[in-house]
Amino acid sequence: MVPVNKALRTLGVIAIGSLVVSLCAILAIGVSKPPSILKAIQNGKAQTTEGLLPAAHMEISIWPDSMRGMHGAHGGAHPGFVSYGPTSHFQVPAHSVVTITFKQYDSGEKISNPYFAKVHGTVDGSMTLDGKKVSGIDPNAVGHTFTVHGMNTGQPDMFLSIPLPPTDEDAEPEPNGYAKPHIITATFITGAAGHYIWNCEYPCGDGSYAKFGNAMSTGGYMSGIFDVVDANA
Amino acid sequence: MLSETSEDTTKQSRNRVGSFLSRRDVQQAIRAWVFWAVTLGGLGYLLIPHLMTDSASKTMDIVKSTFMAFYYTSVPVAAVVLGIATQTVLHNRHAGTVPPPDDNPAIETNQMANIVWVVISSALCVFLLVWGLVVENVVAEPSRAANATVVNVTGQQWIWTFNYPAARKDTNELYLPVDQPVIFKVQSKDVTHAFWIVQMGIKINANRGEITETAVTPNKIGVFDVRCAELCGLLHAHMQTRVHVVSKADYEKWLANQGSVEQWPAS
Amino acid sequence: MASELITEDRTRHSAEKSVGIIRHLNLGTAVIVGALLAVTVNRIATKLIFEGDETWRRHDQIVMATMLAWFIGFMIGIGALVGPTRWFFGKDLNHDEAMFLAGKDMGLKRYFRYTTDHKVVGIQYLILTITLFFIGGVLAMLIRTNLGHESGGLIPPQVYNSIVGFHGLIMIIATIIMITGPFGNFILPIMIGARDMAFPRLNALSFWLLISILPILAATIALGGIPMGWSGYNPLADQGPLGVDSYIFTIVIFAISSAVAGANITTTAMKMRARGMNWSRTPLFVFGTVASVALALPAFPVFMLSQVMSAMDRAFGANFFNPEFGGSAWLYENLFWIMGHPEVYVILIPAVVAIMEITPVFARKPLFSFNMAIVGIFGIVGLSIFVWAHHMYISGWAPLLNGPFMLTTELISIPTGLLFLVILGTIWRGSVWTRLPMLSVYALLFNFIIGGVTGIFLSDVPEDAALHGSMFVTAHFHYTLMGAGLTGALGALAYWFPKMTGRMLDEKLGRISFWLVQIGFTVTFFGMFAVGLEGQPRRVEAYDIIFKNGNLISTMGAYTIFIGMLILLAAVITSWRNGEIAGSNPWGAQTLEWMTPTPVPLENFEVLPVVTTNPYQYGIKQETSS
Repeated sequence: MVPVNKALRTLGVIAIGSLVVSLCAILAIGVSKPPSILKAIQNGKAQTTEGLLPAAHMEISIWPDSMRGMHGAHGGAHPGFVSYGPTSHFQVPAHSVVTITFKQYDSGEKISNPYFAKVHGTVDGSMTLDGKKVSGIDPNAVGHTFTVHGMNTGQPDMFLSIPLPPTDEDAEPEPNGYAKPHIITATFITGAAGHYIWNCEYPCGDGSYAKFGNAMSTGGYMSGIFDVVDANA
Repeated sequence: MLSETSEDTTKQSRNRVGSFLSRRDVQQAIRAWVFWAVTLGGLGYLLIPHLMTDSASKTMDIVKSTFMAFYYTSVPVAAVVLGIATQTVLHNRHAGTVPPPDDNPAIETNQMANIVWVVISSALCVFLLVWGLVVENVVAEPSRAANATVVNVTGQQWIWTFNYPAARKDTNELYLPVDQPVIFKVQSKDVTHAFWIVQMGIKINANRGEITETAVTPNKIGVFDVRCAELCGLLHAHMQTRVHVVSKADYEKWLANQGSVEQWPAS
Repeated sequence: MASELITEDRTRHSAEKSVGIIRHLNLGTAVIVGALLAVTVNRIATKLIFEGDETWRRHDQIVMATMLAWFIGFMIGIGALVGPTRWFFGKDLNHDEAMFLAGKDMGLKRYFRYTTDHKVVGIQYLILTITLFFIGGVLAMLIRTNLGHESGGLIPPQVYNSIVGFHGLIMIIATIIMITGPFGNFILPIMIGARDMAFPRLNALSFWLLISILPILAATIALGGIPMGWSGYNPLADQGPLGVDSYIFTIVIFAISSAVAGANITTTAMKMRARGMNWSRTPLFVFGTVASVALALPAFPVFMLSQVMSAMDRAFGANFFNPEFGGSAWLYENLFWIMGHPEVYVILIPAVVAIMEITPVFARKPLFSFNMAIVGIFGIVGLSIFVWAHHMYISGWAPLLNGPFMLTTELISIPTGLLFLVILGTIWRGSVWTRLPMLSVYALLFNFIIGGVTGIFLSDVPEDAALHGSMFVTAHFHYTLMGAGLTGALGALAYWFPKMTGRMLDEKLGRISFWLVQIGFTVTFFGMFAVGLEGQPRRVEAYDIIFKNGNLISTMGAYTIFIGMLILLAAVITSWRNGEIAGSNPWGAQTLEWMTPTPVPLENFEVLPVVTTNPYQYGIKQETSS
């Protein structure tokens, strides 16, 4: 076997192998288009227990299907999945006081772990539910939750959990076709920058009993990324 | 000599052992053995303690000392394997496309080697077993303590929550008093998780429909990690939280703080 | 006499016409019939199965019915049912059909048919194994690329978990078949002086069963993947997407394939050894292969059972693993590990005995202590049935049993040590003929001692409480299955390549590959031991920043392995086509397969040999041993 031919063939095999890996990597990384990022809008400063901090706010909706938000007009691959929106990747500024307004358009039932029917991680342990200040909701009627947590090391600890009640049974439909939601606002103070995740802790998915399958186990519906970034980023 | 005295037999064995040990290839193998034993032992001594995580309990101290003990026990064994392999590679190599000449000793077996090998591996096995049973017992001490605090641990996709039944308190981060045994009663709301306090060296699965138990006595004040060690779905990698080991006084203060529900401290 | 066996019978041209339907059946017809049947059943099932309360069950049922239809169609199309159908009518294949199936004078086409010649099946298995390792390797590169990225997080978690599961599944299948498939089929019958295996048609069946599951595996990607790792733990598998159904199906068919192959190899070795080959003259490779498949025979059906139960939970609302109605997740864990532990010895033992077959040839010395090797192999096989719950020390299932299982697990180190004794005793005072197969012997010694010792750490109950579910475990089993197992298989490949292909495997490329793979392997998995000790869990796509360096080192080592394996692939392809032509016995070995000409004739031997000694007659006989 001529050495040059052998060397060429060997390099060829290495090149093809590397090409296959690269193609698969591109496929794996790109198969779910990364969601657009919703950044909290900064609006001035606010007085808090930790002094005067920059303020920001954001609005998140939870719909009983995927027709809205980032999955496309026809609901994408799983039109029937519950979907948070307008996207699943949220970004808030560091060292700020952030307020999120939630509109929860879906129904709900009894939650499996009543811990998540209470509010955790906000400035005074409470949220407003249709303007009223509460520190939790009835564990027998929970729609979804918005729970932020993440890895321990290399970033500040963060834990935020907001229970979101279901729509009333006799709620009037809004112009967008969904039943009138309750409005929840929650305010919390962010620490230094970090990379966290959020997911819903009310099991409404698939599976014989654990009900954490389907939408709950598919990225981008009831889970996603929650970044705290420095203001100049 | 018509019959051999026991003195002669002993002298004969000593001669045989002596002549065995003075053979060139045996000497080379022994030198290779020494090299590997020192290298592996030294590397382990220098590197492993830096790699192992900090210890926050007696259990973890035992884990670390067991690791080192087993490591140092296996070093001579590994050195035998590597020593013989090294000796042959250094001294008996034959290159080329023609097979080596067929002039090696046709040794089909060696009773002494077989017996020594089996005896030594059995002895090592007994050592490992006895050590294991002893430390298993010591590690179980906190679970037998009369004054142990009980904490209920709930794992669910993908968060740990904790309940202090005596104080009727629910948290997502563990607070424990130092030098006080604590028994964890662990369960899951959905799939199988594994509750792992890394620096305390304890781990137990969280199963749905069952309550499993593990116990430990934290002996160092500080902040440590809880991680999930059983693949539990989409966000398994992020299923982590903190353990805060504090002084008894701070723990009582924290426990009594019934007012507001937790905000995470700006730590 | 001899010529009648191998030359074509020219007076029976008309007999060719008596080869009926089987002359038309091949891989193509199998795919067509399988696809047609699958689509038909899918349409019917979609129409007939009604939506109940739990709509996901309906999807599971439709998917499983479709896969079953594909499988049956494929088996019909490849011709697996021709024999059994004929038996139903009191007939069988005639002589010409049998010779047709044996691939007489068929050229390359026989590799795409239901060919019964064990040499053809061996080559088919070899190509399949190489393909599976390539796919598994690509997946490993994806995993390590994601983990090399600071704190991971490049590939979305859902896709990542599926990639990890796939990597595990494909590698497990590949390592189980990597020696018993190619070499157990091609070499073993010749090694015992037989003309073929005991059940040639079952031989073809075991191979084509594996091919039938490849499209099912590929379909998993479109069905949502497998989010629960290759171990398929319920309840996580219960809530998984439809891809889990393909996983279940894959396991069921794979278990059937390995049972079929196991029955075949065992019967062949027991009943078809040449005259004079009593057990003390049988090569060790035969013992090891039989031990491996005999261990698989009781173990894999248990895995199959666990999957059938999982399927029933998913599709029909059975509650085997649902504690609310009396089931238990521990039931699944027990069933899985009762298979899972013997399974690693199914993988390991053929690799070790292949190395034990190679060592005397290249050390030019008899195999040391044949009897100890037998005790070691069957000691491992016997004990391995009693150790499974060391995977469940921290499951909380039966804490009182932790001690007894620690005992049995640590006892296994004794027969394992005997295997080392045999190899070391063989190389001691022997030559070291530095050809490719001999390199694998030394690599196995190095890797297996590390793999074995790290296993001992894990067998200690409190130690396991700290290390279970961490990357330390991942590094340990890669050291045993890949460092020892795959290395043994690569040695076997280099050793038997001249007999199977008629050419020598390129030494230079082989050496470069060997060093890249072994050095890369050490770097990769020592990095993993380190992060495991530091506290990184396994099966994670992102990790704490403190594990950054260890992961980066592992990733770089992994890329090195990949380049090395690609070079080996290039060497195999190059040598197969243009390599140096090999004689019938380039190594000067003494087992029977080297006594046949290369290429090996259809019926292996002109005259069946008679054996008078064991095949390790090397060296100068000694007065006394020392």
